Amino acid sequence: MLRCQSLEDGDGFPDLEEDEEIDQFNDDTFGAGAIDDDWREEHDRLAEMEEKVPSSHLLAGSTSPISDLLGDQQEELEHSLSQLVKEIEEPSLPHGSRTPLSSGMNLSIWDSSSDLRPIRGPYMTEDMSPMSILQEYGLAPIPPPNRDHAERDASERALPRRSTSPIIGSPPVRAVPIGTPPKHVGPIFSQQQVLCPNPIHIRAASSPFNNHPSNPATLLRHPFPSALSPLQRAQLIGGAQAAAGQMSSSQFACSGGLHGPVMAGVAPKPLQGHVGSMVAPGGGGFRPFFGVPSAAAPGAHLKNIRPQQLPFRPDTTHLHPQHRRLLHQRQQNRNQHRGVNGSGGNRSSRSSLTEAHRRDPYAGLMLQREKEWVCRIQLLQLQSTDPYHDDFYYQNYFEKLEKLSSSQDRPSEGPKKERTKLITPQVAKLEHTYKPVQFEGSLGKLTVSSVNNPRKMIDAVATHRSDEEDTREKQVRDKRRQTLVVIEKAFSLLLELEDFDRRFSLCCDDEERDALTEERRQKLQQLSDILRVKEGSERAAEEQMVQIMCIRKGKRLVARIFPFFPLQQCTTLISTAAHSLPFLIKKDVQDQILPCLATPCSQVVGQLSGLAVTALLQSLSGSGVTSPQQQLTAVLQNKFGLTLLCQILERSEELMTSEYSTALNQSLWTPLVAQVAHCLLQIPANSLPQPLCSPVTALLHFSRYLDEQALCQLRSKFRSASSL
Amino acid sequence: MNYMPGTASLIEDIDKKHLVLLRDGRTLIGYLRSIDQFANLVLHQTVERIHVGKKYGDIPRGIFVVRGENVVLLGEIDLEKESDTQLLQVSIEEILEEQRVEQQSKQEAERVKVLALKERGLSIPRADTLDEY
Repeated sequence: MLRCQSLEDGDGFPDLEEDEEIDQFNDDTFGAGAIDDDWREEHDRLAEMEEKVPSSHLLAGSTSPISDLLGDQQEELEHSLSQLVKEIEEPSLPHGSRTPLSSGMNLSIWDSSSDLRPIRGPYMTEDMSPMSILQEYGLAPIPPPNRDHAERDASERALPRRSTSPIIGSPPVRAVPIGTPPKHVGPIFSQQQVLCPNPIHIRAASSPFNNHPSNPATLLRHPFPSALSPLQRAQLIGGAQAAAGQMSSSQFACSGGLHGPVMAGVAPKPLQGHVGSMVAPGGGGFRPFFGVPSAAAPGAHLKNIRPQQLPFRPDTTHLHPQHRRLLHQRQQNRNQHRGVNGSGGNRSSRSSLTEAHRRDPYAGLMLQREKEWVCRIQLLQLQSTDPYHDDFYYQNYFEKLEKLSSSQDRPSEGPKKERTKLITPQVAKLEHTYKPVQFEGSLGKLTVSSVNNPRKMIDAVATHRSDEEDTREKQVRDKRRQTLVVIEKAFSLLLELEDFDRRFSLCCDDEERDALTEERRQKLQQLSDILRVKEGSERAAEEQMVQIMCIRKGKRLVARIFPFFPLQQCTTLISTAAHSLPFLIKKDVQDQILPCLATPCSQVVGQLSGLAVTALLQSLSGSGVTSPQQQLTAVLQNKFGLTLLCQILERSEELMTSEYSTALNQSLWTPLVAQVAHCLLQIPANSLPQPLCSPVTALLHFSRYLDEQALCQLRSKFRSASSL
Repeated sequence: MNYMPGTASLIEDIDKKHLVLLRDGRTLIGYLRSIDQFANLVLHQTVERIHVGKKYGDIPRGIFVVRGENVVLLGEIDLEKESDTQLLQVSIEEILEEQRVEQQSKQEAERVKVLALKERGLSIPRADTLDEY
């Protein structure tokens, strides 16, 4: 009774009270449950079956005698009728059209009850499962079971009054995601059914047939079998409610007849503040009410009830705890407000709204159903099973808010500011494990792509390169890096060394000069250590030197180092360079920086002994790896190579003309020069570069070993090269 | 207050008087009758309001269906505050004339500007050509 008061509008309350009194009076007079049913409805129904059913059955108060009185004839009639109804109903059921609903509304109570009868059996097997699921989801409070039982026990004997149903006031909040087919249709439905106050009327109406298995009392508890499709159930309910609407002239007037239109007008209002109310009906299979556009539809009052009494679900996965708390608080405030104001506030707001509607005859172009559809389609986008992942900023924002408010709330317990909050769908986490559909006898499985199961477009697999390849590349990279480091170190030392000359000229103290000299010596030592020039002949040192000279900065470094190093080390450097000159030339193609080595080299070569010059020419003309011809061809076509050759020949000419004419070992020197000259003659004139020094002396030296004709050719070649 | 995501928050504004600013600069005032998820709007008893300086004029347009992408701004009109405006309502003819004059002067200013820029070897794309792809 209390629940009813809060659910239905206050207006309904006095009526109910009145009815209650009258009922009580009737009960006292006629026995419990006798007058519960509508007399007019009863009359209509009985008028229908006047011919078949003896009028004595009108006395509905006594149940068991009636069952005895009803003979086989009655049983047969019921059976055939139920068959007929099934035949009419069933083919149209799966198509989801709303026409069955309306047809269901036209059914008489009797029809609907007979339709229910055959399906009662299977439902019983499931019995309490809905309840357990409800508890699992933490749904609407379930009335204490013992009270329920008492109620039921009483209902077996005497029919309870509609208003005493304890469950009416607890509307469902469902954990079914919007847009996806309901997974727990059975339980949800049954709960809905429990909520619906109408079945009692059904019971009352069908009480004459209490003998039948479809005892209305059991009908109340387990209204429909879970084996039915949601639509079927919806139809059944629709039918039942329609029936209720038809028969409720006295008791039901308050909700069904009188206030229906008013409430339908109010319907947009609850929509604004209540999220769940919109979400909840959307997901389930229980949608008959939205299909009834008429304001006077029996479902109208229910539609209105649900949002207002919506309990806040504590286990909504999607909302942040803080958000949830805020919502909860808000709801409590609202409830309090209602408690204080009673139905008065409600009524006033409604009246103002209806007034607005009266002013604006065009209002309500958008149906409630359409509004809900828009809301749902927007909420659908926010649906998420992993909010922290999908909605990181929202979650973090509310975390921050929580911290902020908790730090602020402590000192002052003043009224909190209400912040605007985004409404998000309350979705329970559902595991989506996709199983491809397989038809019997088919060869393959039919895959259907969906949001949860997107179609695999490519099967991309990350490939890793083999370790060996990786390390090799790494080694090369590391080597280059190392070389660069060496160059940098050497360069910084070189700059310091170059700086010493200036410092040397600045200071005049002898001691200081000595100190500086010592320091310079140390730096030079460091430099040669870094460049490993001392170990000259060793392969590793040579390798490093070549690496350094492959890099542009390294070449410049070497060019600047020559003046600082003693002759021995410079000779080593030059011979190293000469030895691997073809390689260096190849690396120098882009830089073209090798010629910068020419000037320092000339200074070094100018000091070389005969032996050293021979060795240098030997290394220039190639080692055993490549044929001398090949190497020389490459070297002599390079500017630096040719310049170096000229310098060497110049030096040898110098040595020959000097007093140490024996310095050059002729037996070694002559074939080398002959080889070089031969090679030079092979090279076409246009590919011979212009040497950086004058080739005159070199030609002079060649004249010692070559005949006139060859010398002429060489001269013309050099001339053409210099003229180029 | 809580609010619904997206255009669902407009649901509660339905059947109220709204001002809609369109992408082409027009201002519509009418009762919002219907919306959808794209913010497509149905306006009822619509007037197109033209403001020029302190004057404004209303051109009755009837029912207006606005494609959502064209909505720049949408706001409810406070019916109580609507009347105490400092703006002066004038007739349609007058406001149209005012608008024409204003547009003409604007165009003239624009033309002068473009000319000045051209003399300096600069050119700016005209704003109205940017919108037409």
